[in-house]
Amino acid sequence: MEINGIRIEKINDYLWEIPKQGKMLVPGRIYATEKMLKESFNDEAIKQVINVAHLPGIQMYSLAMPDIHWGYGFPIGGVAATDLDNGVISPGGVGYDINCGVRLARTALKYEDVKNKIQRLIEVLFKNIPTGVGASGAIRKLSPSEIKSILKKGAEWAIENGFGSQEDLLFTEENGKLKDANPESVSQRAIERGLDQAGTLGSGNHFLEVDVVEEIYDDKVAEVFGLFKGQIVILIHTGSRGLGYQICDDYLKILVQSEKKFGLNLPDKQLACAPIKSQEGQDYLSAMRCAANFAWNNRQIIMHLAKKSFKETFSISEKELDFHLIYDVCHNIAKIEEHEIIDSNGKTITKKVCVHRKGATRAYPAGSNFIPEKYREVGQPVLIPGDMGRYSFISVGTQKAMEETFGSSCHGAGRVQSRHQAMKSAKGKDLIKELTDSGIIIQAKGYKTIAEEMPHAYKDVSEVVDVMHYAGISSKVAKLKPIGVIKG
Amino acid sequence: MGYKFLEHTADIAILVEGKSIEDLFLSAFYAWKDITIESKKVTNENSKKFLFEAKSLEELLIEFLGELNYQLYTKKWIINIVKKVLIERTNSNYHLEIEALGESYNSKNHIIKEEIKAVTFHQMKIEEKDGNFSTMIVFDI
Repeated sequence: MEINGIRIEKINDYLWEIPKQGKMLVPGRIYATEKMLKESFNDEAIKQVINVAHLPGIQMYSLAMPDIHWGYGFPIGGVAATDLDNGVISPGGVGYDINCGVRLARTALKYEDVKNKIQRLIEVLFKNIPTGVGASGAIRKLSPSEIKSILKKGAEWAIENGFGSQEDLLFTEENGKLKDANPESVSQRAIERGLDQAGTLGSGNHFLEVDVVEEIYDDKVAEVFGLFKGQIVILIHTGSRGLGYQICDDYLKILVQSEKKFGLNLPDKQLACAPIKSQEGQDYLSAMRCAANFAWNNRQIIMHLAKKSFKETFSISEKELDFHLIYDVCHNIAKIEEHEIIDSNGKTITKKVCVHRKGATRAYPAGSNFIPEKYREVGQPVLIPGDMGRYSFISVGTQKAMEETFGSSCHGAGRVQSRHQAMKSAKGKDLIKELTDSGIIIQAKGYKTIAEEMPHAYKDVSEVVDVMHYAGISSKVAKLKPIGVIKG
Repeated sequence: MGYKFLEHTADIAILVEGKSIEDLFLSAFYAWKDITIESKKVTNENSKKFLFEAKSLEELLIEFLGELNYQLYTKKWIINIVKKVLIERTNSNYHLEIEALGESYNSKNHIIKEEIKAVTFHQMKIEEKDGNFSTMIVFDI
């Protein structure tokens, strides 16, 4: 078929291919239902899938997950792997919020145990975890040398400083730390922006949610993850805050400047990139890893503050609460990983590539050495938050993801309404009351955030999760229903 | 000449216009201010000067707006008025000189409405048509 002049070939009900055209180096591939595919032509997202296919050294496909929407350079929901010898690294393939990600923790509490105290719990969480624009002061203001230590150590820094236990690191992607992160590659301004932001949630679509496990789809996997129906869990969504934004900003400027030097001629300035092997490429990789480490440390501190808030609210012991991290995944990142690649001659080879995931979650299968030992029999948890009024999902990575998507799956719902439209449709409504009536207590810095983030501003995340499930990329394990939310 | 908001699903997109490049930069400042702060109670207590240098006008605009973000979110200094905008070209570089008036952020008097993560290069292209300059700016929020 042809949509807006672009030829699309159907691979199956959940996968569509844009054949190579013009200067595209590989085809584009989009995971979606036919309806979702057609909707994704409403903005620039599909054009961006095509643009990414122009990146030097791109391997196999320019991929888009079903939550694809209009981004900068890369679409949100875009995945691309590039060759380490002749390929490029692009900050646009990571995004401004480097290592924006999600963390899921479980408790031994059931809905019946908390239902009368949810309001109080949300108030305590809101008091202990700074939210909103320029949120600061979760912990004491750190010195530049302490920030540099976080940039090298990641979540390990939080553990060393009393914000959690060693066990938490085992259940964090990359154990909460990317190696080869040199703070010398990070600007003073970026460090300055991080000084008072460790342990803060921020604004926009970032949140901390208290959820009930509403439905289990896969008993065996749920048991391995420590999940049961009616259980209280928490979901944290945030990233590297101002420090990460500044690093992306700094390197985009550098790479826009060096485009000519490397003989690159890309269709969008926001796709600015540099050969991975070049000094500029290596410096960006190092700085990006620093930001990723800052983000893991951030989510670790927030989780610790959340645990403290549970103990404070319910006056229960460590043993009774039985609070454990299930997993922490990043969904804005570029990492050097080993994958099976089909080369231009159709030959399959195993090699290291640079996987860009811009609004996409790693989804490794059972047997992978890169996931916690406890999960090796079943696969890696894939955490997919929805909107604050409906539900979020936990899925598990599969072998098919390794074969088709460089071990990647979707990351969330994606907006359908602009913030402006959301504000307009919220007019005259009491959203806080509407949410409370549906069993969700919300506390936010301002009403504007609640209005902009209202549930109907987002796609129904279950449609996104189902595409990945039926495409065989990540299988559904459990559905979570929010009962309390704090936001910026 | 001013600015207007454009529809964008995930972020904030604006079209800024000016009768000169300087005027366009001023329009971009007013748009930024409209997005970020509730400005009724901001005073012109002190002034700061800024100098920027870039290879293109687009990069210069990104430098300028990035500085506004840095002053607001990190330095906690709110710019109320941009008094002077001077743009010059020397050899292959563009230079921008700014004088701004504003005051330190105070949670009792000021409301920060929005956190702009970054000013993007996406679809930014300063163009001149019949003596009017314009560009689209997309803010990542």
